[in-house]
Amino acid sequence: MSEMANMDSEGIDAVRMTWNVWPRTKVEASKCVIPLAASIAPIRPHTDIPMLPYAPLRCKTCSAVLNAFARVDFMAKIWICPFCYQRNHFPPHYAMISETNLPGELYPQYTTVQYALQSFPDPNNSNATQLPPVFVFVLDTCMIEEELEFVKSALKQAIGLLPEHALVGFVSFGTQVQVHELGFSDMSKVYVFRGSKEISREQVLEQLGLGSAGRRPTVGYPKVLQNGYANTGVNRFLLPASDCEYTLDTLLDELQTDQWPVQAGHRASRCTGVAFSVSAGLLAACLPGTGARIIALVGGPCTEGPGTIVSKDLSEPVRSHKDLDKDAAPYFKKAVKFYDSIAKQLVSQGHVLDLFASALDQVGVAEMKVAVERTGGLVVLAESFGHSVFKDSFKRVFEDGEHSLGLCFNGMLEINCSKDIKIQGVIGPCTSLEKKGPNVADTVIGEGNTTAWKMCGLNKSTSLTVLFDLSSTERSNVPGAANSQFYLQFLTSYQDPEGKTMLRVTTVTRQWVDSTVSSEELLRGFDQETAAVVMARVTSLKMETEEGFDATRWLDRNLIRLCSKFGDYRKDDPSSFTLNPCFSLFPQFMFNLRRSQFVQVFNNSPDETAYFRMLLNRENITNAAVMIQPSLISYSFNSLPQPALLDVASISADRILLLDSYFSIVVFHGMTIAQWRNMGYQNQPEHQAFAELLQAPQADAQMIIQERFPVPRLVVCDQHGSQARFLLAKLNPSATYNNSSDIAAGSDIIFTDDVSLQVFFEHLQRLAVQS
Amino acid sequence: MAAPVPPGAPRPGANARQQSPHPNFNPNFQTNPNSLADNMQNMNLNRPHSMPNSGPRPSPFGQPPPFPQSSVTAGFPVASPPMSRPGPPPGMVGRPAVIPAGPPQTTLPANVPPGRPVGLPVSHPPPFGSRPPPASLSSSTGGAVLPSSAFPSSGVSSASAAPPPSGARPSSFVSSSPLTGGPAGPMSRAPAGPSSNGPPAVGAGALPGAPRFPPAAIVSQPPVGPPPSMMSARAPAQAPTMRSVLGSSAVSSPQTPPLPSASSPFPAMTQARPPPLGSPYGPQTWSMQPQQGTQPPHIPGSTHAQPPRMFGMPQQALPNQAMTNIPPAMGQPGAPMSGSSKIDPNQIPRPIPNATPIVYETRHGNSANPPPPATSDYIVRDTGNCSPRYMRCTINQIPCTADLLTTSAMQLALLVQPMALPHPSEDPIQVVDFGESGPVRCSRCKGYINPFMKFIDQGRKFICNLCGFTDDTPRDYHCNLGPDGRRRDADERPELCRGTVEFVASKEYMVRDPMPAVYFFLIDVSMNAVQTGATAAACSAINQVISDLPEGTRTLVGIATFDSTIHFYNLKRALQQPLMLIVPDIQDVYTPLETDVIVQLSECRQHLELLLENIPTMFQTSTTAESCFGAAIKAAFLAMKSTGGKLLVFQSVLPSVGIGALSSREAEGRTNISASEKEAHKLLQPADKILKTMAIEFAEYQVCVDVFVTTQTYVDIASISVIPRTTGGQVYYYYPFSAVSDPAKLYNDLRWNITRPQGFEAVMRVRCSQGIQVQDYSGNFCKRIPTDVDLAGIDCDKCILVTLKHDDKLQDGSECGFQCALLYTTVYGQRRIRVTNLSLPCTNMLSNLFRSADLDTQFTCFLKQAAIEIPTCPLLQVRDHVTNLCINILLSYRKFCATVSSTGQLILPEALKLLPLYTLALIKSRGLRNDGRIDDRSFWFNYVSSLSTPLAIPLVYPRMFAIHNVDSKDGDESVLPPTIPLSSEHVCDDGIYLLENGEDALIYFGSSVDSSILQQLFGFTSVDEVPTQFVMQQFSNPLSKNFNDVVNVIRQQRCSYLRFTLCKKGDPSGMLFVSCMVEDKNANGPSYVEFLVHIHRQIQMKMS
Repeated sequence: MSEMANMDSEGIDAVRMTWNVWPRTKVEASKCVIPLAASIAPIRPHTDIPMLPYAPLRCKTCSAVLNAFARVDFMAKIWICPFCYQRNHFPPHYAMISETNLPGELYPQYTTVQYALQSFPDPNNSNATQLPPVFVFVLDTCMIEEELEFVKSALKQAIGLLPEHALVGFVSFGTQVQVHELGFSDMSKVYVFRGSKEISREQVLEQLGLGSAGRRPTVGYPKVLQNGYANTGVNRFLLPASDCEYTLDTLLDELQTDQWPVQAGHRASRCTGVAFSVSAGLLAACLPGTGARIIALVGGPCTEGPGTIVSKDLSEPVRSHKDLDKDAAPYFKKAVKFYDSIAKQLVSQGHVLDLFASALDQVGVAEMKVAVERTGGLVVLAESFGHSVFKDSFKRVFEDGEHSLGLCFNGMLEINCSKDIKIQGVIGPCTSLEKKGPNVADTVIGEGNTTAWKMCGLNKSTSLTVLFDLSSTERSNVPGAANSQFYLQFLTSYQDPEGKTMLRVTTVTRQWVDSTVSSEELLRGFDQETAAVVMARVTSLKMETEEGFDATRWLDRNLIRLCSKFGDYRKDDPSSFTLNPCFSLFPQFMFNLRRSQFVQVFNNSPDETAYFRMLLNRENITNAAVMIQPSLISYSFNSLPQPALLDVASISADRILLLDSYFSIVVFHGMTIAQWRNMGYQNQPEHQAFAELLQAPQADAQMIIQERFPVPRLVVCDQHGSQARFLLAKLNPSATYNNSSDIAAGSDIIFTDDVSLQVFFEHLQRLAVQS
Repeated sequence: MAAPVPPGAPRPGANARQQSPHPNFNPNFQTNPNSLADNMQNMNLNRPHSMPNSGPRPSPFGQPPPFPQSSVTAGFPVASPPMSRPGPPPGMVGRPAVIPAGPPQTTLPANVPPGRPVGLPVSHPPPFGSRPPPASLSSSTGGAVLPSSAFPSSGVSSASAAPPPSGARPSSFVSSSPLTGGPAGPMSRAPAGPSSNGPPAVGAGALPGAPRFPPAAIVSQPPVGPPPSMMSARAPAQAPTMRSVLGSSAVSSPQTPPLPSASSPFPAMTQARPPPLGSPYGPQTWSMQPQQGTQPPHIPGSTHAQPPRMFGMPQQALPNQAMTNIPPAMGQPGAPMSGSSKIDPNQIPRPIPNATPIVYETRHGNSANPPPPATSDYIVRDTGNCSPRYMRCTINQIPCTADLLTTSAMQLALLVQPMALPHPSEDPIQVVDFGESGPVRCSRCKGYINPFMKFIDQGRKFICNLCGFTDDTPRDYHCNLGPDGRRRDADERPELCRGTVEFVASKEYMVRDPMPAVYFFLIDVSMNAVQTGATAAACSAINQVISDLPEGTRTLVGIATFDSTIHFYNLKRALQQPLMLIVPDIQDVYTPLETDVIVQLSECRQHLELLLENIPTMFQTSTTAESCFGAAIKAAFLAMKSTGGKLLVFQSVLPSVGIGALSSREAEGRTNISASEKEAHKLLQPADKILKTMAIEFAEYQVCVDVFVTTQTYVDIASISVIPRTTGGQVYYYYPFSAVSDPAKLYNDLRWNITRPQGFEAVMRVRCSQGIQVQDYSGNFCKRIPTDVDLAGIDCDKCILVTLKHDDKLQDGSECGFQCALLYTTVYGQRRIRVTNLSLPCTNMLSNLFRSADLDTQFTCFLKQAAIEIPTCPLLQVRDHVTNLCINILLSYRKFCATVSSTGQLILPEALKLLPLYTLALIKSRGLRNDGRIDDRSFWFNYVSSLSTPLAIPLVYPRMFAIHNVDSKDGDESVLPPTIPLSSEHVCDDGIYLLENGEDALIYFGSSVDSSILQQLFGFTSVDEVPTQFVMQQFSNPLSKNFNDVVNVIRQQRCSYLRFTLCKKGDPSGMLFVSCMVEDKNANGPSYVEFLVHIHRQIQMKMS
């Protein structure tokens, strides 16, 4: 269902903006409270997007790409760039152009087009230069036998699913890092790196015999020209999946848990950091431009060498949010700095780090977040490699077909925008390329200081949030017809899963409005859902980057300001307060955001928080909105499945509730339903309807699970069961033990002192109307 | 195994030698895995010889000795039960003992006479038993494994050949034996006495008998007189030999032969007198010589200068003497000598081997018995003092004062070889278990209980012989004293009646549980190593040697290879195939696995064998030229750190990368000649401290490193050798490595390395009686505190020089005790303390010192000290120093002891009469020449550092045999042909000669050798066809068989396979041979005669 929603709300462009009309001045914009921002899904597929098999035309001054908004003089064979108004001549091969013979990019409905580029134009052999994708699996071996078996079988399955030509490498680690030379035929051969020592990329190359200077042909391995890597020697380590599947299977069969002894009362010695360094170093030997990903399967915290997040002594717990706040996490900053350097290296190489972490305790996602997010890697956090959250997600990564993630490599996003629009930065899985330009804002939010970003890895659901600002200088030119519109152009080049280079160009236009004259127009251009998500992302970012940032207060203040500005009320009369329908849902979003895991981090570990935030940042608006404010559907005999209020009052003994909070999906059986089910009525033919009722939420849950990555955790529970907490935690506590006397039978109460939505509203109204 | 006395652990399949388990075994051995050694002994055991005790003894090894090669064993049994040895009854051939058995020495000390056990021994089997059976050594690698059949092909025919000879031997022995022991001693003395100065040099002496008698006669020594007849027989031949028996001999009185008077001066003389006693034996003595005599007619010419004259011999008696008498004028250098022809080069003192083993009792009549020469063949009866194999002193009487010692110019030092291989006929060392309380020790100096501790007060207290402190006897150790003042149980308790015992160590002596036997093999697989075949040779050797490793769960092995990275192998059984683990960081190494790199042998045998077969091919195409030796050993060390153990490294090229990388200093030195002249010796020092630091760490963790250098280039042994030296290991050097001829030696060296008696994690300390203290230790070990040496590994071949100094006066007539305690772990994991005691009389008489000087020990001491100086001093200085040491001793003797008449005579103390010859040989040895390769010299002085006394002598003064006529001798003689003096005069153009120094062997072809002899011995017909690489082969003809026998006997004696080089005249190889002719004048030094003249002149100068 969310898919459908996406289609509608994002359309062909997959761009959603907090404000669809922009105030003209920076001052006005700041009064709008909610920042000017756009959420884009750069390569979201859409059936209507035309594929153009030629290279785009670029404006010679601003290098924006020719688009449907350009004015074209067919006679003179000239087009005028909507961004800089530069007049450009069409090249000779556009000679045929006319009003009735337009190239795809000029069709007005094709605001988004896709170009298929060829990096090496060779009409005869277009496939020859395509580099196969590279997958380096990095497997933690410090885990119990059982977990290792789970992860091994997942790995084997994954390797079987890889395209035959994809190159595969394998690295295992524990106390030390072992790089397996899959191309060595005489026996199993591994290069062992010490886990306690930081190692530079040059050292890795040198020590693996891949150094540029002393490239040592290694023993026993015939030099084979293969995939164009022959001269680097890296093909000793990276073999086509079809060639090494057997080797890898055997290797995995023999692979044991880490042999180094673990002292009693200590954590296993695990050098995740060095493993990443080494893997990244190995990939450095690949030709530039190769799409490669490091797929890390981690079963615990890094305790050895660089990137350590906690000491080996079990008496010292892994840092909590409280420790981070109090600066009592001695390893944290150092580790983050280390992973940041890994990120830089990977980005420079254009390679991706995917993190699959499965452990009951934290593994250091909070520290590694930077490396994963900057490279556009995938991240999945589960509590066991045997859990479906991991198993199914992992499988999904490699699966082809309808639910394929569409993993692409080497993405680069460029943004062109009309004069006076400044880009503050991007929140999401990308890295700034530090490409300066006139459209770069002075203030930076997220990855800024640039008009181009690298996305080493991206997939069809990857989303980014671009934050804009307006030029602070008063506009010199009088608002006129010509520039009542402004334009934004998003250029995304990338390698698709087949290795082909594509360029997607999305050009959107929106209107300027003079908000001093009329806020009516502004109001209508407000996208509450997007605004809520952007606020959530900005809040998360601030919480991570600003010391002592009080998120709740900040959100409250902004909400009050917003309501003050856009609400209808009489001063100091709370009861007179009303909100325009365009804003009506926003306060509730904020209420839920305040209570969400993004703001109330203390219920979670830093790892979980990091994980949630990474997904918040990379998902589309609809999904992100669900993370903030879960959807609740109620199933009962009396009616069709229908959305229910996210309120404890929705609980009823004869209902089944389906809660989708994105990370988990809860099927909650009311007390009566649970009793019936326990008595087995659903198995009796006369209670077919009951069986169907039981089945319906399950089926819906499965539908959601299938389209989602990572696979959410499915919780099936009964009222008053222990697992019911997964539902109760998300509900508005309209009924608590404080007012339990007046609740309906069969309903429930929540044991909390949290304020309910109603109370929140009351306060909001009161504060908003204050003069 | 726990039981102290236990029989040897049964070796695996070893050949079960049903034969007798011999009584002799050392206890250690029994327990010990020292298979080889044992085996060897066992073999001997077979000999008929039965020790009285034998029966009772626990036969340590019940089992047959595990010979390396099964084949061998097979051979033996057949051979002759009597002589177990393969052909050559090793025993037969005497080492080139310098002096015939005891005589010389004994002589002097008149006292001695009684001491020697004379006659009895006869029955004994030849001593050599101890040496490894040739067979084992013999076959080429491949062959080794195979049964006997293999042998023939391999060239070494040891096995087959052996048997027959053995038969022969026996007889010989017998005959000889009777004569032997006894007589010799006495005889010599007698003569000595008379001649007082025994100019040993004199050829006359050679015939011990002869010379002596004469003197005797003159002197009036009756005793000797005896068997003139005998003499005559022998005489001819022997006469020349130097033995000049005179014990004292030292100086020959000048012409005046009749120095009867002279004699008087010598204390010895007087003593000698007792001769009468001796006389009885006398006759026999001679007999011994016969054998020798036959060949070695060297006549000791006393050369030039008035040289040495035979003592005993009155000039008259022998013609030689006459000559001697006429000493050319000293002043005139060589010329006179030769010119005058007065000096007969044949009369100069030269070593004469003795043929049959003598039986030597360490103490007799409550006083120490001076030991026979280290290079001779003897069987020890431990009667209170330790066997001289374990510990011997440079002087067998201890000077009471430091001044006296200084005056003598001699060194006071002990050579300690605590695990020395005993003669197979000797009793095993007894193991004493004091239970949890551990051995009884002096509470002050911590000296261990020993036969010289005196019990008093009804046995309630005892006085420590080392520090003089009076201790209370532990209650449960109390025993009453007998009428003789000894404890009544003294004879039942080995620690109270034996010089050497082993105590079972209690918990107190263990910092941790005894370590397992860990063997880690590290193989160079860089391009050069693979291409020269060194890698394959190493793998093959290891593969064959696996079966020789101790059985059981305590034996752990690991293996790694290295080029520019280090490759470990996970041999864990669960794996389907070994897993190669590469450690690429060679600047900062680590071990790639905690546990599975070193695995129980029983668990990984198949993997290991498979791997060893694969390694050479696996790296066949490698083009990695670099080698990270330093990093590799460091990594291997890290893998072994938790246990310690033996690290066996096979290295083929200069370590060029990683930690401790070395540069080609030699080449740099060459290009900068002017600088290098002065600084030449710097190239013999380690390049830097990195390896030394590593080595100390290794030693600390009980890792003992042996390095097998199989190379064709410079590898900087000076630097590399620091590691084995510090950790109690050694360097083996195969240069230039040949894939054809060296693998067999490599295998045999490795096998001996692993199977010889040895111990791990050892600590050694020598304690001395008050008045004397240890000054320094030198050898292959690590010393962290001044009093102890730490030996990560100690084996039967390692010898440690312990220099001593006075810190007080000793009392004349008292005894000075020395106790060496070695705490170690056997290969079977038992912690033991081997305590070796020596108690020597103290004297105030300078002449006693000279009379009791031990030539072999003194010279070995010289040699080691010179070796220590080589890397730190300019060569000239070292040579001068050595020469001066020699001169000063002789000067002292001349000045204070000799009864001089004419200054024109060079007078040598009898006991040290060969000192000039050895000194000359030392000056011309590889280590002290500057024309050699740096690596050769480095190897030389490193080799010397741990060298035992019996091997030190041949290293500088090799033995040479003629082999073109090895078939010509009688069947019942020793297998070894007579030795030939190292002088080109004795090398004929139509002869083929074998020259061996215990490590290398040269075969020299004269230019006109009979082609049929060539054909018979080597399979080619012309000298022109002499190949550069040589593999011993046995052809089916007696000549070839005898030749092989000879070689095998030598191998046995030396415990070394020998590395053969074929030399022919006119080649560089020929030059090599010529350079070994130490008596010749050449670029490196004067001729023997000239040298004697030089010495004489120096002495004269100093006298005046």
